[in-house]
Amino acid sequence: MVDTVAAVAAVLLLTLITMATRVGGVWIMSYVKITPRIEAFLKYMAVSVLIAIVVPTTLAAAPRIWMAVAAAAVVAAVTRSALSAMLVGAAVAAVVKNLGM
Amino acid sequence: MAEQTTVTEPAQIPRFTAKGVWRGCVEIAPIAVFIIPFGIAFGVAASAKGIAPEVSILMSIAIYAGASQFALLDLWYAPLPLATLALTVLAVNARHILLGAALAPWLLQIPIKGRLAALIGLSDGSFAYAMSARERGEIDAGILFGSGIAMWLIWIASTAVGALAGSFLGDLTRFGFDAVMVTYFAAVVVGQWKGAKDLYPWLAAAAVAVIGTYVLPPGWHIIAGALAGGIVGTWRHG
Repeated sequence: MVDTVAAVAAVLLLTLITMATRVGGVWIMSYVKITPRIEAFLKYMAVSVLIAIVVPTTLAAAPRIWMAVAAAAVVAAVTRSALSAMLVGAAVAAVVKNLGM
Repeated sequence: MAEQTTVTEPAQIPRFTAKGVWRGCVEIAPIAVFIIPFGIAFGVAASAKGIAPEVSILMSIAIYAGASQFALLDLWYAPLPLATLALTVLAVNARHILLGAALAPWLLQIPIKGRLAALIGLSDGSFAYAMSARERGEIDAGILFGSGIAMWLIWIASTAVGALAGSFLGDLTRFGFDAVMVTYFAAVVVGQWKGAKDLYPWLAAAAVAVIGTYVLPPGWHIIAGALAGGIVGTWRHG
């Protein structure tokens, strides 16, 4: 169990970091130009963070999560709606769980 | 009629007004309702991790960046791995830097106070809304602050609902809430696919992240995977 003081301190640290990313882009742009190279790096890094979370998490999880992720990926590819995909994925995970798998 | 054009001329200078703030609040509303399920899902997922409602609600008030809040749930254990948490949140939220850079030509024409107010609640949703408004000729950066505030309040309220309900719901896996984060991220990733050019950077990110779970301290595989994807993407397309 994480104690409350440590939790609040950590949240404040993470808040400062997040705020820095929010104001950072405009701040940097007031000094330098973002080259296509830097832009490509930031763009690929942004999606790679999510890939680096999704792939190992899914592989380590139960088969019902594999099914949920597969369903979500298909719905996302077809509808382009992350929200619908998430709802379908969660529904698949719930149904499979209740079927006792 | 020529005079009238001259009179309306100052209106073309980017500015930050209370009217703009209100307009942002109202116009973002139809988009903002879509974050309600995510806010509830975050609150519930945090409860499922044993995080007290007041802590998860504080996260939504202070951090207010959904993807990074979901990401930090996996790293929320005692003792808190502060460096890993910090780097993960930085990596997940680094995209804000790009959003800010895209807004810079507009915001750099606004006095510093308005500029900071416009950026303080920046999110993917408010950015998308503000950019489309800008294309329609909007010059009032107050809309960024207003839309940020509206989404922030909805995010906090929906987190609270999820966090408080979550502690009464018991085993949440039967509702599929343990799949919410990973399916949402998978869906966002799929939505980012722009064709074969993305294949190698994506494979690099996935492979390095998976290997990293075996050879790196907990959580670092995310940073390693993110950097690998960024580097391969830059190398091939930069």
